[in-house]
Amino acid sequence: MSKPRYPVIEIDSNKCTVPFYCKKCLEICPTSVFMVHAVKVEKGRETNPQDPGAYVLAAPMRDKCSVCNDCIEVCPEDAIKIYFPSDT
Amino acid sequence: MNWIDKAYGDPKYGNGRWYLNPKNHSRNMYKIKKPDQKSAAFGSDPEAQSGARIFEIMQTRFEDPEKFERMVKEADAMRTKGPFQIGQVIPIQEAFKVAELSYPIGAMHCICRYHWRANEERNEHEYSCTGLGVGMLKWERWPERYKGGVNFMTPDETKEWLMKWNKKGLVHIIMTFGGSYVGGICNCDYPDCGMIRNRIDYGITTGCIKSPWVAKVDYDQCTGCGICVQRCQFGAIKFEVTIEKTNIDQFKCYGCGLCETACPTKGIELIERESLPGLKEVW
Repeated sequence: MSKPRYPVIEIDSNKCTVPFYCKKCLEICPTSVFMVHAVKVEKGRETNPQDPGAYVLAAPMRDKCSVCNDCIEVCPEDAIKIYFPSDT
Repeated sequence: MNWIDKAYGDPKYGNGRWYLNPKNHSRNMYKIKKPDQKSAAFGSDPEAQSGARIFEIMQTRFEDPEKFERMVKEADAMRTKGPFQIGQVIPIQEAFKVAELSYPIGAMHCICRYHWRANEERNEHEYSCTGLGVGMLKWERWPERYKGGVNFMTPDETKEWLMKWNKKGLVHIIMTFGGSYVGGICNCDYPDCGMIRNRIDYGITTGCIKSPWVAKVDYDQCTGCGICVQRCQFGAIKFEVTIEKTNIDQFKCYGCGLCETACPTKGIELIERESLPGLKEVW
């Protein structure tokens, strides 16, 4: 059985530094493929959404991506790339 | 006796009503921690950990689909054994009973909407999740959860609050959050709730088991207004054009009762799953 092909969503974390503060792609995605989580955690303190690199953006539900490219258009940092893996 | 009662307790509180068993609100709440041992389930920030964990599991789906299938099956086997890896849809009448049973009750922000939509819910008007039991009292140790604070509520306030979200169209799911006791009532919808989404899209049953009820249309009462169709988060309700009435697929129905509470003519009733031999094993 061949693996099903899904769109690959590449997020450049050097450009996308404050996803929890910006959240434009997270809010616009019609199938909600994105997810944001904190990587910088200090005990007893809330992670600052505006702290660069404190949160990372990922696209774990990319099998539900229809490649409508709304997130690419809305991204102020041009950090998202979506492509279909080629057959070869 | 059905599998839920076998795994989680006592049929004397009602068929399949494990969440009304007081024991399940208290068991193992405080565990004695050995100095060299770290808590297995939760670290200093369960929110960040759960986020990373969810991402890991989802990643497995792409990299090793067969392993993912196995993980889903293992999780499903776990639910029938106990103890407590489950979430279950409940209608609002049952959520009210839980509100009377559990203490303390605190409203807080929803972790799923936080992860999937970066929804912050920073005050008591926005909080859409509830924590139940003494786990709430040490919540401030978890900064990501505590960020806006917690709004503690009386049973009556809780009912009012649950009704607010029910009217807006959210499904109540009673959760153990992987711990060993009832930990909260989530108010969920698709797609920004992880539990409903995992079940519908990926077949992960443990977080979103169907309730001990199913909805049934009373065709004499149904006027075909279609309000219930918009309410269903599970795609179980259709409008049957030729008879101009609602049609409920009981095999897709999760028994949340959202259609029942919205029906203006009382044309939908919830009946016990156990009373229907064809649905007895459909959880």
